[in-house]
Amino acid sequence: MIANSQSMIAAAAAERYFVAMAIQRKGKMVAIVDDDELMRSALQGMLKSVGLPSQAFASAEEFLRSGQHQQIACLIADIRMPGMSGLELQAKLNAEHCRIPTIFITAHGDTKMRMQALRAGAVEFLAKPFDDEVLLESVRAALAN
Amino acid sequence: MTVTGTGRWFARPAAAAALRYGLAFASIAAAMGLARLFLYFHLPQPFAAFALSAIAITFWYGGNMPGIVAALLASIIRYSHWSETHAASRAIYDLVFLIFAFLMMAINRSRSELEVSVAERTADLTQANQELSLEIAQRKRAEEKLRQSEAYLAEAQKLAHTGSWVWRVDGKEALHLSEEWYRIYGFDPKDGMPTFDKRLQRVHPDDRARWKETIDRAIREKSEYEIEFCILLPDGTVKDLYTVGHPVFDASSLLVQFVGTTTDVTERKRAEEALRRSEAYLAEAQRLTHTGSWVWEVAPRRALHLSEEWYRIYGFDQKDGMSAWDQRLERIHPDDRARRQQKIDRAISEKSEYELEYRIILPSGTVRHLHSVGHPVLDASGNLAQFVGSSTDITERRQAEEALRQAQADLARISRITTMGELTASLAHEVNQPIAAAVTDANTCLRWLNRDQPDLDEAREAASRVVKDATRAAEIVSRTRLLFKKVSPQWESVDMHEIIREMVALMSGEAARYSISVWAELTAELPEVKGDRVQLQQVLMNLMMNGIEAMKDADGPRELMVRSQATEDGQLLVSISDTGVGLPLQQADQIFNAFFTTKPQGTGMGLRISRSIVESHGGRLWAADNSSRGASFHLSLPTKVETHE
Repeated sequence: MIANSQSMIAAAAAERYFVAMAIQRKGKMVAIVDDDELMRSALQGMLKSVGLPSQAFASAEEFLRSGQHQQIACLIADIRMPGMSGLELQAKLNAEHCRIPTIFITAHGDTKMRMQALRAGAVEFLAKPFDDEVLLESVRAALAN
Repeated sequence: MTVTGTGRWFARPAAAAALRYGLAFASIAAAMGLARLFLYFHLPQPFAAFALSAIAITFWYGGNMPGIVAALLASIIRYSHWSETHAASRAIYDLVFLIFAFLMMAINRSRSELEVSVAERTADLTQANQELSLEIAQRKRAEEKLRQSEAYLAEAQKLAHTGSWVWRVDGKEALHLSEEWYRIYGFDPKDGMPTFDKRLQRVHPDDRARWKETIDRAIREKSEYEIEFCILLPDGTVKDLYTVGHPVFDASSLLVQFVGTTTDVTERKRAEEALRRSEAYLAEAQRLTHTGSWVWEVAPRRALHLSEEWYRIYGFDQKDGMSAWDQRLERIHPDDRARRQQKIDRAISEKSEYELEYRIILPSGTVRHLHSVGHPVLDASGNLAQFVGSSTDITERRQAEEALRQAQADLARISRITTMGELTASLAHEVNQPIAAAVTDANTCLRWLNRDQPDLDEAREAASRVVKDATRAAEIVSRTRLLFKKVSPQWESVDMHEIIREMVALMSGEAARYSISVWAELTAELPEVKGDRVQLQQVLMNLMMNGIEAMKDADGPRELMVRSQATEDGQLLVSISDTGVGLPLQQADQIFNAFFTTKPQGTGMGLRISRSIVESHGGRLWAADNSSRGASFHLSLPTKVETHE
């Protein structure tokens, strides 16, 4: 119970912070790339609840096709996806010198992958199921840069 | 036989008439000449003597008439040349001539009679000679026939390896031994007929006592005898002989001889032995394979031959004989009777083979499975006469098949569980997705509610997303549970597309793990398939897992494609293609063998079981490399309903 109330307080605090940030950074978009529909809606709902606008893409290809890379301030991506994987997307963006702060969330995470992702410039590498707060922290950190 | 037939040219009247009469004149002239001669030499002149001689000669060689002429001539000449004074002497001369003439006539007559009887005698003799010649010819022919017949007999004996013999009871000496007898016993006819002791010596030592006893008994009882025994020739050959003897009695009913035959039955015995052995082997073979053979006649319906094993199979006693045939109908399982009768009736009307399986119930209550095969036998006019065939007790085989089926089902289930076990990791991760989403959505909901101004609409939205997430998690769990259940095969109509979709969903986690995209190209016209749902799911699961495995470490795009289409010959074709490492070289079919695996921890049973399942559904499962990358597994399933026997 106490832990719950503490996290609630923390959430509320974060929310206020983010609202402030959002007011400062109007127009900075978070992109979500995940093939699982439920996950997409959950993440979008979460970001909405802290006042962050977001766009969801079902695949890395869809994301690249959208041509909105420049407007994206933060990218939350799944690793294992049919077609282009999250890491491949990261490599592609790096190749295009498109430095979007990327947070990876994945159900199949192992240390080797984590190392690889972080070395390639990822902001964070989280395993599902993840702690909301940790994710929001990472988003905050990404948007701060 | 007349005198004219003798050919004595003197006696032929017509031609020699001149000669005969001429003889009269000539002989008298000669008499006269002689008389004159004697006169010349001053010898006594017996003209009368000469004349009488001349007359006699003429009567003899000329006949009666010329003789008379000669007598007259003699008388006339006497008158003319030597005339006497006395009439009395002249008369005496005439009388003498006359008497002589009569005498000569009588002589002639006797001579004729003699000639006639001689001729008759000659004729008789000639006839007798002819008859004799004929008889001789006949006898020669008879002899020839006899010789031929004896030659045939000898030949017949040779061919039949039978020699004939006759021996005298006194001293048991042989009276006649045929050529073949010598050949059989190995004696030389030139050495003469062997004595009893010599014959006894030829008899095999083991049989000698019995042989002697048999003959002695036949003599004692004056009866026929027959005996089989062996003989041992000097060169070591052993022959089997069969002897038959008949007693011969004389006029006073005393036993004098025995006559009989001896046949060399060595070959026959050997053939009998071989036949007996072959029959024993056959009976043994029948016993070992639990197969009984039979022959039954169509009209009237009855059995002609039932083998030993047939009785054993049906539980009858061989002593019952052919009556068992009728009783067997009662032992046939009631449920199988109609079908069996139908098949037999059809075979009779079509004069064709038949094959059927049915059960029998033995008196003890045991049920046995039988498999019968019958072939028709036609007679000379092409009508159906008999059926000949065999019945095999396949109960053990059935039981073994059942046990095998059960073992296969168990193995399939274990394989299923094992595969499911392999999926656990991905399933766990897969179920994590909706749970993670649920946590996020729940937190989001709380965030909305904890605002100074709670946004109830947003909170509600978040809460309903939680419900969706949790439901999804539950679905994943329940989907996998079904595959762990132990169910006996249920034969029903299955929707292959539904199965494909379920399996794609089940595999999606695993596919995502390796960044594999899964596509399904399903035909619009899905034909209906009958089969066991769980088993078909297992096949698809196995094939898709293999496809995913093949692409785990592959470069380039990783795609798992599931296609379905209806073929022209009424089959449903499902293909699972990957872009992975492809099939092992040259082993497109061997991969379906048991225990073939390329995975370090693989059991090697997956494809083997999949193929058995597909084949038990009446379909086929095969693999081929793709023209580009990877391999494709194709399975075809029949869509028409087939009757099961």
